[in-house]
Amino acid sequence: MDDGIAVSAEELVKHYKSRAGVIEAVRGVDLRVESGEVFGFLGPNGAGKSTTVRMLTTLLSITSGSAHVGGVDVARDPDAARRMMGVALQEAGLDPRQTGRELLVLQGRLFGMSQHAAAERTDELLALVELEDAADRRIKGYSGGMKRRLDLASALVHEPQILFLDEPTTGLDPASRLTVWDEVRRINGRGTTVFLTTQYLEEADQLCDRLAIIDGGRIVREGTPDQLKAELRERLGLTADPTLDDVFLDATGRTRSREEGDVQEVTA
Amino acid sequence: MTQALVLGRRALLEAWRTPEALVPTLFIPLFFLVVNVGQAGKIFPSQSTEFLHGQGYGAFQLPSSLLLAGSFGTAALFLVEDIEGGYFDKLRATPIPRTAIVLGRLIAELAKGVLIAVAVTVLGLIFGITIASGVLGFVLLVLLTALWSVVFVGFMQLIALKTRSAAATNSGGLIFFPLLFLTPNFVPRDMLTRPMEIAATINPVTYVMESLRSLILVDLDWRHIWPGFLVVAVLGAIMLALNVRIIKRYD
Repeated sequence: MDDGIAVSAEELVKHYKSRAGVIEAVRGVDLRVESGEVFGFLGPNGAGKSTTVRMLTTLLSITSGSAHVGGVDVARDPDAARRMMGVALQEAGLDPRQTGRELLVLQGRLFGMSQHAAAERTDELLALVELEDAADRRIKGYSGGMKRRLDLASALVHEPQILFLDEPTTGLDPASRLTVWDEVRRINGRGTTVFLTTQYLEEADQLCDRLAIIDGGRIVREGTPDQLKAELRERLGLTADPTLDDVFLDATGRTRSREEGDVQEVTA
Repeated sequence: MTQALVLGRRALLEAWRTPEALVPTLFIPLFFLVVNVGQAGKIFPSQSTEFLHGQGYGAFQLPSSLLLAGSFGTAALFLVEDIEGGYFDKLRATPIPRTAIVLGRLIAELAKGVLIAVAVTVLGLIFGITIASGVLGFVLLVLLTALWSVVFVGFMQLIALKTRSAAATNSGGLIFFPLLFLTPNFVPRDMLTRPMEIAATINPVTYVMESLRSLILVDLDWRHIWPGFLVVAVLGAIMLALNVRIIKRYD
């Protein structure tokens, strides 16, 4: 990793062609994620979060600009970049017909481990995500929280330097969400950089050292949660500390007007 | 190659754990074999029908059943499940050659094709069909059927990767039925009407069917055997090339 930068993007652009014309999903994103931090990537639906993550994780071609993960250009040397990163996407990408153990061993084999090494690593990971008891059951019988934890484990098989988590707690109940948060903290505590996209501002507030907000395919805010709140308080002359929700609504051009208990969201 | 074999093993496990998807692969070809023999068996008695070479009409129909058994392409539907469920992206995020992802499934299909061809042929043997070309002929019969199933799944995978839709992939499989009926399915090619004979001659499936039929009805007659293998070799190479091309460009 060069200069302690785990992930960087320069003028990252993604255009899709559709029948209606060209869709500009990402319009020049610049990012720098430092090694060892938990970086939050926030934005409303359709803002370009997942598209950006998919480009950074080599799953989507880049229209223009460049991206580096662990100092490796993801477009020029995708395989080297893939060895640097673990990826857990929005929907836990698991094969329901395999057992948890089989899935992790297979993942290890695909990262070049011998059968024996993959089996040993699998035991470690099953203990890490506390799925030893369910290890030999087929994944289709797992709960949503168990699937998420297994997905996390599978992203960690090759001990990546950087972990990409795309909305890891979407659709989980509060208890499962807290468990995933604990896992993320534990993984980060071991030195892994975490790049996390989420729609839950509380999650970002709890987990992230720094965050960026994307809207309309462009980064509209970047900083630590405290910096972003302080900036909003100062700029608007607020008397009380704003929440990350307020920062988000301000950054994405949306406001909340409260009238007699009603909460109405309107686009500015 | 190791990664392709690892993925091939996983695809076989997937098929083994979904027996409900395998049952039609055996049942429907055998159903057609019984129905076709029941309908046309009396028209073509073995003693007086030269093209049967002394066997019953079931022996003439067995190649159609073998080709049908090799043309279900369920592996492509499992691929769509992988795409829709996100596991396909998980595989794409690993540092393995993109070709290994498609090759893994094709290798598994070859193994599955061998098992299915053996099962259908053995059932045919139980009902009195003999393989006139002997043990080597039996091996070639099974191999050619399995290679055909690889070609067909290669075609289905193209639809799966292009459309990412189970419905479209399923519909794509139906393309085989016209091809199966534009062959010398019920009688040899020289007994077809002229337009059907022309259609059958153009249809590559005809040559696979005639190779299989030759192995069942006559001793090793290479003049009839090699065209079938040439067809699966050429179509197989085309399908593999197209699969590799589409997965490398997959976004």
